[in-house]
Amino acid sequence: MVSVRALKTGWCVLLCLSAVACGGGGGSGVSSGPPPTSTNNTASVIVDEGPLNQSVNTLFTTVTVCVPGSTTNCQTIDHIQVDTGSYGLRILASVLTVTLPVETLASGNSLAECTQFVDGFSWGPIVTADIQIAGETAHSVPVESIGDSRLPNIPAGCSSTGGTEEDTVSTFGANGILGVGPFELDCGDCDTVTHGLYFACASSGCTDTTVPDNQQMPNPVTHFAADNNGVIVVLPSVAAGGASDVMGSLIFGIDTQTDNASGTETVLTVDDNAELEIAFNNGQPLASSFLDSGSNGIYFSDPSIVTCTAPPSDPTSQIVNFYCPSNTLTLPVTIQGMNGTMTDNLTFGVGNAITMLDTNFDAYPQLAGIIPPGSGVGFDYGLAFFYGKRVAVAVQGAVTTAGTGPYFAF
Amino acid sequence: MNQTMQRLSNSLQRTTMPIPRSNDFKLAALALAALVAALVPHVASATLGQPEITVQTDVELAHAAIKYSEDRTGYRVHEIQLSSGTAVREFVAPNGTVFAVAWQGPTRPDLRQLLGQYFDAFASVPRTKFTDRRHVQIQQGDLVLQSSGHMRALTGRAYLRSAIPSGVNLGDLH
Repeated sequence: MVSVRALKTGWCVLLCLSAVACGGGGGSGVSSGPPPTSTNNTASVIVDEGPLNQSVNTLFTTVTVCVPGSTTNCQTIDHIQVDTGSYGLRILASVLTVTLPVETLASGNSLAECTQFVDGFSWGPIVTADIQIAGETAHSVPVESIGDSRLPNIPAGCSSTGGTEEDTVSTFGANGILGVGPFELDCGDCDTVTHGLYFACASSGCTDTTVPDNQQMPNPVTHFAADNNGVIVVLPSVAAGGASDVMGSLIFGIDTQTDNASGTETVLTVDDNAELEIAFNNGQPLASSFLDSGSNGIYFSDPSIVTCTAPPSDPTSQIVNFYCPSNTLTLPVTIQGMNGTMTDNLTFGVGNAITMLDTNFDAYPQLAGIIPPGSGVGFDYGLAFFYGKRVAVAVQGAVTTAGTGPYFAF
Repeated sequence: MNQTMQRLSNSLQRTTMPIPRSNDFKLAALALAALVAALVPHVASATLGQPEITVQTDVELAHAAIKYSEDRTGYRVHEIQLSSGTAVREFVAPNGTVFAVAWQGPTRPDLRQLLGQYFDAFASVPRTKFTDRRHVQIQQGDLVLQSSGHMRALTGRAYLRSAIPSGVNLGDLH
């Protein structure tokens, strides 16, 4: 499906190149660079304390949703988390003031989703909306309305997937989430296999169901008319000790405009799980590793680094899952794509999590946490990876001058 | 008897018929069938902290297939492949207690079934400044639950500290 859209974009580009009226082109003939267009493809992003005034290393943007077909029945919502580790736009129903229509299946049943995050699940109907971000628009896109009173009863098949129910802003930690990872859909095979993800709801209740691809939750970028083959996250460097209100850009499209042209970046392709291999501190490459704007720390297993101790005032604090070396460590790290390409000369810092977090900043490039040995994940390089970089995330099937998605490039 | 049960039944016949003298093998296969049953809702079954159970012939065996069963030093591991693509492993101590369970795949299995009485501990983790959507680690009494991953690739495990047979390396329980 991506390739079809990419093809459409290609046609648009060709038409633009041959047309006089194309925006911003200047009419000076075909250049070797990307064709300019007039679409504003850059949204502002910020790492701040979030709606709960407690977020750490969490990237947010602002999204406008409209009732499909309307340009007036719209709502602009801030503090939507930008997540390269998930797919789809999800918004807490409690912040929605526009009424977005619920998708119905061919059976006539309403469609709902039980989105599974590692720490829990979010339940709500799949609605459709026109989405606007920066100057980009996507029409009639499936969006999850989390915690929507129109489908209040969570089926056992959803809650049994485990973890905490995250259907309010206070339990979710954001007003919504914008999943812009390197695939088009949030499920690889939900058109033929049930997962406890999608549910068909009738008055009698909701049952696990398969869903045609075009009704599943998409990475909304893939539904833009143009600039739909991926995103580029641009963030400034952050002081080692942390910073507040770190601002950057979320650029849509790769090689579709002058501001998102590929250059000489390192292209790391990822596997079907959006994963690659990462080696740190001169160790072995670890499989099941990933780069992820949705992770708040740099997570790995190193029993030689001192871990944090919970303070007496909060004996059950989750700070114990982070590292607390007495002196900041600088460790070499090598990231290897599935294409075999390896990064050169990268390092990351491991600071003392307790000391850092006491400062009450929002962004901490050296916050590192523990992955227990044998727990199935190698190295999770979270939002800290994106600080001081321009990271492109190309969707599967996207063909750019740098390579073919799915890939991360920087 | 639904289709999956029928398939399993056929599978057992295919497995056992060429070697009719191998009662041990047949029993092992039936024991595995019980384990598969363990993962299906509404069926009394093998669950964290519970014993491997007796065979139930009337179980509904939807969405599951046996992949392998293997004796390791100090414990036995059964892997069950769910139709969702997710693999579930159950780790059984010599005394027959399921002391650890693990999962890996695009989506989680039925953890209410798999974790049993320990399910609620995972269902009530408060959001704090340390929370993201990629990691959870719980240590509550005897229970340790650890999970990591991201959308389309979730992994996790839970074990009971007091039930781990001596000599077992935690790093192998995945």
